[in-house]
Amino acid sequence: MFGYVTPCKMELKIKDYEKFKAYYCGLCKSIKINIGNLPRMALNYDMTFLAILLDSLNDIDPIYTKQKCGIHAFKGKVVIKNNSCLDYAAFCNTALSYYKFLDNVNDDNSVKSKIFSLLFKNYLKKVPTDFKKHITHIENILTNLYKLENNAVDSSIDSLAHHFADLTGFILSSYNNDDNKESLYWLGYNLGKWIYIIDAFDDLKDDMSHDKFNAVNFCFNKDNLCYEEFSKQIQQRIDFILGTCAAQCMNTFKKLPIKKNEELLYNILQYGLLDKMDKVFKRGVYKDEKSI
Amino acid sequence: MKNPYEVLEIKETASKDEIKKAYRTLAKKYHPDQYGNNPLKDLAESKMRDINEAYDYLMKNGGTNTYTNGSSANYTSSNSSTYQSVENDIYNGNLSSAESRLMGINTRDAEWHYLMGILNSRKGWYDQANTNLSTACSLDPNNFKYQEALNKLRGMNNSYRQPYYDNRRKDPDICNICASLYCLDCLCGGGNC
Repeated sequence: MFGYVTPCKMELKIKDYEKFKAYYCGLCKSIKINIGNLPRMALNYDMTFLAILLDSLNDIDPIYTKQKCGIHAFKGKVVIKNNSCLDYAAFCNTALSYYKFLDNVNDDNSVKSKIFSLLFKNYLKKVPTDFKKHITHIENILTNLYKLENNAVDSSIDSLAHHFADLTGFILSSYNNDDNKESLYWLGYNLGKWIYIIDAFDDLKDDMSHDKFNAVNFCFNKDNLCYEEFSKQIQQRIDFILGTCAAQCMNTFKKLPIKKNEELLYNILQYGLLDKMDKVFKRGVYKDEKSI
Repeated sequence: MKNPYEVLEIKETASKDEIKKAYRTLAKKYHPDQYGNNPLKDLAESKMRDINEAYDYLMKNGGTNTYTNGSSANYTSSNSSTYQSVENDIYNGNLSSAESRLMGINTRDAEWHYLMGILNSRKGWYDQANTNLSTACSLDPNNFKYQEALNKLRGMNNSYRQPYYDNRRKDPDICNICASLYCLDCLCGGGNC
């Protein structure tokens, strides 16, 4: 479900590109230090965005260091360290991956996911106490979502996406309690909805061929069309929802008192999201591309 | 408020059908969309507001005395007071109260769909909002308020995309490079790994 919120590399300044990498590596390191080595495999870009956004609301200068790690053994990487926003993102990353594995186990009984879910469960015990109630809340929302997906009768795409949107809103707005809470929730709500729907559309072909639940297929494919016909028919409608969500993210972002990384965040929300949409809809520069 | 009969250019004895007819003719004449960037657009907008206000007023209060029977007139007026409180709820951010009020109404006319659309777009339920507002517009094609709400919802999307597409148009070659590089390189550092 993850990894859609990234910068559009071609529109990125080199310095912002380096910054993004430093946050990304910093998040990986923070997972290692705070939680453990194994959960680093679940590292993803969406949580990097979370860390950058939250960190940009304070005016503490980030500490950059050069470090080596197992994955990049020979070449040092610039990493941001001792950053509480990265630590928060690290916990969220691990918690969300755990529930994702759990969902996979329920969906198709995959052995791999079962093993990982057990391992991750142990790691989750390590989270600090003030994060425990976050975990309970995340669990409640996701349980509701999975319940709805399994017993959906006559749901609209908006009501299906609501739970994941609400979850993302919660995660973005629960780092600390300040004046930005409301704006962060609304940004998160729209971004979460965007992620849920773009992910569903991206997986449409796969899910249809494996006969798995897919929110877009479930809500709109009333005539049981085949993938080619259906995706062509529904594309414009999905594009409208995604565009509106992204526009709301951008509008809310403009209202936030951003202290640093403004151009990087602007790139992600203004170009990155639209670039991903072009990619998923296979249009613009991605039109003639073979699937990778 | 101006005298609604004067605004709609009708006699005070006009029937409901006559009011509707007058409203349609004027709405066609003054609909701001047809003025484009013409300076008259602002004037047309304010005229259109007066027309809408007058029409709403007459539909709620007058016009009902001669041509509709008592029960349905009561029905309309009780709905319109509910609509007013729904509008207040939405304005004050009390979305759940607005929603439960709306769900309690059984006759779902254009105004109902309009309010539901506004409520859904406030909730972030854009697909439903789009459906609601489109329905409101097709039930009452001459209502400027409905059309404006629908345009606003759709316009948000277009103005957001503008900077992205402008950039692409300015630099078509770069984008082709971008596409071909995309598979080779990922953000974590690609070739440097």
